Amino acid sequence: MDTIGSLFHGFAVALTPGNLLAVLVGSIVGTVIGVLPGLGPTASIALLLPVTIGMDMVPALIMLAGIYYGAMYGGSTTSILVNIPGEAASVVTCIDGYQMAREGRAGAALGMSAFGSFVGGTVSVVAVMLISPFLAETALKFGAPEMFALLFFAFTCIGGLTGKSRARGLLMACVGLLLGTIGTDDIQGVDRFVFGTLYLRDGIGLVPLAMGLFGMGEILYNIEKREKAGSVLETPKSLLPTLQDWKDSTWPMLRGSALGFGIGVLPGGMPAVASLLSYAVEKRVAKRPERFGRGAIEGVAGPETANNAATAGGFVPLLTLGIPTNSVLALMLAAMMLHGVTPGPLLLLKWPDVFWGVIASMYIGNAMLLVLNLPMIGLFVQILKVPYAILSPLIVMFVLLGAYALNNSVTDVLATIVFGIAGYLMKRFKIEPAPLVLAFVLGPMLENNLSKALIMARGDAIPFFFGRPIAATLLTLAILVLFYPVARAGWRWAAKGRLA
Amino acid sequence: MTVDRILGVGAILTAIPVAAAAWGFGVGSPKSPGAGFWPLLIVATMGGLGVWLIVHPSRDGVAAAAPESRWGRLWIALGTMVFYVAALDRLGFPLATVLLLLVQLRWVEGRPWRSSVGIAVLATLLSFVLFRVLLKVPLPAGVIPLPRGW
Repeated sequence: MDTIGSLFHGFAVALTPGNLLAVLVGSIVGTVIGVLPGLGPTASIALLLPVTIGMDMVPALIMLAGIYYGAMYGGSTTSILVNIPGEAASVVTCIDGYQMAREGRAGAALGMSAFGSFVGGTVSVVAVMLISPFLAETALKFGAPEMFALLFFAFTCIGGLTGKSRARGLLMACVGLLLGTIGTDDIQGVDRFVFGTLYLRDGIGLVPLAMGLFGMGEILYNIEKREKAGSVLETPKSLLPTLQDWKDSTWPMLRGSALGFGIGVLPGGMPAVASLLSYAVEKRVAKRPERFGRGAIEGVAGPETANNAATAGGFVPLLTLGIPTNSVLALMLAAMMLHGVTPGPLLLLKWPDVFWGVIASMYIGNAMLLVLNLPMIGLFVQILKVPYAILSPLIVMFVLLGAYALNNSVTDVLATIVFGIAGYLMKRFKIEPAPLVLAFVLGPMLENNLSKALIMARGDAIPFFFGRPIAATLLTLAILVLFYPVARAGWRWAAKGRLA
Repeated sequence: MTVDRILGVGAILTAIPVAAAAWGFGVGSPKSPGAGFWPLLIVATMGGLGVWLIVHPSRDGVAAAAPESRWGRLWIALGTMVFYVAALDRLGFPLATVLLLLVQLRWVEGRPWRSSVGIAVLATLLSFVLFRVLLKVPLPAGVIPLPRGW
């Protein structure tokens, strides 16, 4: 009952004209960003962070959240109509969505993807609402050892879920941790790796780092290697799926909601991972798996539901534990801190307006996107026809301008360009930047809690950590995640030996 | 050499000087960790992962190289951005941004002169109004005289 009452309070916050406008602007901007190839939600949120500094805290966060889930809606449009994913979570939608469009069923694919996104987003928001208060209450009992164990578990998950090679992902996470140590140390007050510069004493900013690695890196890569777009198909006349489409899509949408939410809550749980897994599950459970890749609507409905469910699911650890599970949520964390809000178990007690306002705005935003997106498909098709040769320089300008507006400093612009070159090289060498950004955010929290826990342990660290049930469980899980691939390789090697 | 091996060698080469610097910050003891304890722990892990990547590299290659013509465009794009950093405070936002956009549109993207000039001027004007006038970001005006109240 308390949750319901709080939710009503959230709706009272979200339904004020200013906040409604923030939902609308966020959802539309997010959808347009999702539609445009070459500018993902991470770069866009990084880009718009400076714009929100002048806004009030609640509408600013509502707008940024809207951009995130709006981008998930919009990303499918380019996948279906042009065979180019607007962002990573829509990559699998290309497979069957584009095939459906080529068969003249673009309307059904776009319609089902919008309905699926709505179902996934809404189911997930209900789950966020039910789980978050319980999790926040549990987290209030966490001391430094439990917090360290939780963060360490999150850290071990990052490497595995975000790329093909776990070792490569973990190495990038180490680079992120190392970058996070730059600046004046919080506990001892020692300057680390600042090379005598004033700029580095405050540490590297998350926004130039994310904007450079994701936004600028993507632009530079596209300048070097312009991918040929497929021809833009005409605006479909009807977006309503047939009765058979509904029948085929109901279970994939329900499975996608559950799977997406579960993945979203996990550290490293990117919406892209959720959509990929959903596609694999749908193909496995399908009666006629050979239809996949030739225009099966389940291959659109499942992944599109899953990526939106994961988007909302990611807000659980962010809002209740202060732990971002992907790079977009890391920027949301930065946005909250810019506005003086510290996400974590105390958020619900100290800033109920923020917590329940953002949750309620997500209900409204999902409904708004469903209503707006279907009639606006024609407009999105027109946006798709704007040549990338015009968009690319404009995006460059906004990235550089956004970097400057952060602190009115040219050094931030230079830092963005340097990280942009790094992002370009990472893309060129097929290295995923997300673990780096996440570890960069988690690093200072990890160090702080480890130092406190070690001081509490008075030299007996291992018995101390493993004598506390929550810390022991989380550390055991982390060790299992970390060494599972090594153990699996060992078993395979042993099995090979037996066969030989 | 595979990407993993290059990364592995890079990780080890980075780990050595960083470990030395971390040692200099003071490592402390497990009872009372110093400022160098955490960086040392990170580079020790990095070194280990570096060795692992050299010994067990995956077969992932580098993304296909672009045709030579696009390499030139990439260098021009990077050059204009570096120029932008140097010119922003001296020339001011409007002039530096028009030049940045003009070069990118005309020489990086190959747009015709007329549309390049038009888009560059219009986009600069709109972004200047949005950021400086509406959002009150103190963008440097530089050599361009501004209307009163801007």
